[in-house]
Amino acid sequence: MSSSILVAQNLSKVVSSAEGELTILHGLDLELPRSATLAIVGSSGSGKSTLLGLLAGLDLPSSGEVALAGHSLASLDEDRRARVRAEHVGFVFQSFQLLDTLDALANVMLPLELEGRTDARARARELLERVGLGQRLAHYPKQLSGGEQQRVAIARAFAAEPDILFADEPTGNLDSQTGERISDLLFALNRERGTTLVLVTHDERLARRCERLIRLEAGRLVASEP
Amino acid sequence: MDLPFLRLLSLAFRQLLRDARAGELRVLFLALLVAVTATTAIGYFGARLNASMLLRATEFLGADLRLSGSSPATAEQLAAGTTLGLEHARVVEFSSVIATDTAIQLASVKAADSAYPLRGELKSAPAPYQPDTPGPGPAPGEAWAETRLLAALSLEVGDSIEVGEKSLRLTRVLTQEPDRAGNFYSLTPRVLMHLDDLDATGVVQPGSRVRYRELWRGAPEALQAYRQQVTPLLAADQRLEDARAGNRQIGNALARGERYLNLASLAAVLLAGIAVALSAARFAIRRFDASALLRCLGLSRRATLALYGLQLGLLGLLACGLGAALGWLAQQGLFWLLRDLLPAEVPAGGLIPALAGGATGLVALAGFALPPLAALGRVPPLRVLRRDLVPVPPAAWLTYGMALLALGLIMWRLSLDLRLTLALLGGGLLAAFALGALLLSGLRTLRRLLATAPLAWRLGIGQLLRHPLAAAGQALAFGLILLAMSLVALLRSELLDTWQNQLPEQAPNYFALNVLPAEKERFMAEVARIAPQSAPLYPVVMGRLTAINGEPVRQIVSKESSGERATQRDLNLTWAERLPADNRLSAGQWWDRLEHGELPGVSVEAELAKNLGLGLGDRLTFSVGGITRDARVSSLREVHWDSFQPNFYMIFQPGTLQDLPATYLTSFYLPPGRDAEVVRLARSFPTVTLLQVEALLAQLRGILAQVTLAVEYVLLFVLAAGLCVLFAGLQATLDERLRQGALLRALGARRRLLVQTRRLEFALLGASSGLLAALGCELVSALLYRFVFDLPWHPHPWLLLLPALGALLVGAAGLLGTQRALNASPLQVLREG
Repeated sequence: MSSSILVAQNLSKVVSSAEGELTILHGLDLELPRSATLAIVGSSGSGKSTLLGLLAGLDLPSSGEVALAGHSLASLDEDRRARVRAEHVGFVFQSFQLLDTLDALANVMLPLELEGRTDARARARELLERVGLGQRLAHYPKQLSGGEQQRVAIARAFAAEPDILFADEPTGNLDSQTGERISDLLFALNRERGTTLVLVTHDERLARRCERLIRLEAGRLVASEP
Repeated sequence: MDLPFLRLLSLAFRQLLRDARAGELRVLFLALLVAVTATTAIGYFGARLNASMLLRATEFLGADLRLSGSSPATAEQLAAGTTLGLEHARVVEFSSVIATDTAIQLASVKAADSAYPLRGELKSAPAPYQPDTPGPGPAPGEAWAETRLLAALSLEVGDSIEVGEKSLRLTRVLTQEPDRAGNFYSLTPRVLMHLDDLDATGVVQPGSRVRYRELWRGAPEALQAYRQQVTPLLAADQRLEDARAGNRQIGNALARGERYLNLASLAAVLLAGIAVALSAARFAIRRFDASALLRCLGLSRRATLALYGLQLGLLGLLACGLGAALGWLAQQGLFWLLRDLLPAEVPAGGLIPALAGGATGLVALAGFALPPLAALGRVPPLRVLRRDLVPVPPAAWLTYGMALLALGLIMWRLSLDLRLTLALLGGGLLAAFALGALLLSGLRTLRRLLATAPLAWRLGIGQLLRHPLAAAGQALAFGLILLAMSLVALLRSELLDTWQNQLPEQAPNYFALNVLPAEKERFMAEVARIAPQSAPLYPVVMGRLTAINGEPVRQIVSKESSGERATQRDLNLTWAERLPADNRLSAGQWWDRLEHGELPGVSVEAELAKNLGLGLGDRLTFSVGGITRDARVSSLREVHWDSFQPNFYMIFQPGTLQDLPATYLTSFYLPPGRDAEVVRLARSFPTVTLLQVEALLAQLRGILAQVTLAVEYVLLFVLAAGLCVLFAGLQATLDERLRQGALLRALGARRRLLVQTRRLEFALLGASSGLLAALGCELVSALLYRFVFDLPWHPHPWLLLLPALGALLVGAAGLLGTQRALNASPLQVLREG
């Protein structure tokens, strides 16, 4: 088994628009070992989210190759990519993406129920307690604050014990204090469970907490640290 | 990942419970529930009333089902009924000369066994013109006769008559046979005797003209089974008749009533379809995010689709089951409320209406919800990052084609009437297309006019203009709801009017036949004295059609054709200067416009002409008492057989038959309680046959009253269902409006502005729906009148009230529905987004 959980080679994404073809990503290479933390930064429209979508197998590149947990994504159809996601990947989104009709507990149980785990309820409860929402299990998303919703989303992301967690602007919709607490939680869980973390952000402070950082501008890699 | 079916099912069930708890399924569930409840209730109501009407109509046949033929039924045909447990009676009818020592008279004799009649009542009186009572028929050795036979032969009760070689004692006067009703033109008086005496008469020999009738009575399923077994065994001269076929007046009333009930339940199905269409699309759109997330969490496309399909299926089963049960309860309640007006014996209705109601809901759900649901499978998982990504919608023709196919299938299955289904669906579709285009272009014009309008107008109507397609779709949906409601209302009044005209208060209740030429003036003067309203006198010549264009009819008209009976018996031929008032020419010209040819003209009833294959210009040869007369078909007439007026198959040009022996025929109305005058009339004109059709009229009125009642209640049901669907539909379109309202309030709009905005928006939506409904209703009703109900169509100006009514209804419902947005804190609404 390769020590790298994520490898991207010469990754490009071209979309066609009314004005002609538009290249959003230009030949990008990337390799990430297990348990590493990576921040992708850049201004709005620099191609961060597009890159995240390609790395997580939510979309396919126009050219180039992504290998996620040893699976070459380009050779897989959507359903096989879904299976790879189910086995290896967790997500946290800027807009939380909780299901309105499910309470906090049911939202966290969802990926566990999809796996058919019998301990879904106990495990979801434990995770919600871990993120500090032990008292809010029966609350619906609209009854929770933004920070609380994001904590439910993080509990859900860690529920299925993913190898790699993709976070798209996880603090983007939160005030700085709540954002700080959410990133603390994210990194603490990451350490506890040895999960690889890839986060897209334009919050420099959050980015600096990652071991590695890449910076995009107009779809090109302009800096990689260290 | 692909999940095993059971895990998917349990997941779907849990999700459904959670969604239900969150109030997410309310609209779809309610729409389905209302739809299935209405369809089931109307289905039951219609089926049970229909069965009970048929039950009453069977009295006119003396049985539920009648097998008649000119040869006796075979052992196999009889065994089929007995094995199925049907009750059986046998009747043999023939003409015979009744002789006394001094006179003879041709009579129509009926020999019936002791079980006769199986339905309806046989009535007799101890002496002529005495009050009659119901009871069993004559015992062996006895006979009953009509008063006119006694008058013609100067007989009294207690005398004996000879029927063939058998002498029978007259014991009572026959006053009413249930199965005589439809036949009041038969000119010979009736004698009723017991079947056991038939052989002894020696009248029935091979080759003699005899009608054998096997009467059957029993459960509908057994009758159906009998019909299926016996139909292939029928000889060319045999026919199976039920109440519908047995009597034209009843048959037509029943058929129209049934069609109306059918139409009403189809309208309910249409309402159901619209309700489900409105809420199912919302169901799918609100699940775009969830399905993207599930795909993101690794669920395969197939499993995602299956999950939502199962959810929808479970929801559908639940709503349909509950709806069918509620529908059953609703009609039980209705029958309970109507218990004083309906006969005690109302058949139960079985399981079919409940199953049909439930199936309607499920098929409508599949037709309308599956296409938007299929889009869920195509939601790209990338939507979790980019909310603007929506699935490629399925081709519009596919979505609507599938929904329409589903709807058409249900309607056809439910009504078993392809013409009705096509007229309703085709007309609706045509109206929808034309009016949708009209509406869309209207909205676009409005956009230009709006620039200078006040803020409330710009906001309210701007909301509609922002998504003109969606607005046109909503107006169309509400328009179809109003259309279904007004169509059912429209046909109701039309049907009631038709029946009212068919049976006016003073419909003739007496027919006078055999008025001799020498007596006609004196008779009419006497009739005019006791009954101010009477029909004119029609001459009647009995004659038989023997040849068409020179060829004998027996060689031309096949035994299987329905015209065959008309060539086997004497027809009542008449002549007339003018076209009778309620007849209508469907082809050719009346005499006054006819050029004189070598042959006189004859006007033939259109249906008979069709059955005999006659066309304009054909030469017909009639035989009247051995004399032949030729005439050329100069016109075809449509005749209202269900009116209680004398009607004729053949009307000749005046001057054609005058030299032949004729009698006269008329009808008149006599108010109840004038029996003594009828007796006096009958005594002063002993040769005239007076037929009282009061009993038939009363029975027919009873049936029509029942159908009318059904029609009224079904209308109420459809209106109530329509209103529910309207509200459910509005709820389904509220999301966007709620958000806009909250935003405006957040921006500082005053409550008054919001109320005004909403009022304008909904009133416009309602008014355009009303306009669509009015135009569509005229179009569909024109199709229905022309092709289904056989009614003359004329415009209905009151439909122009529909736009106002629509504005009022939709406006009120919309305001009620958006009350929440006006009262809730804008922040909350925006956060619920």
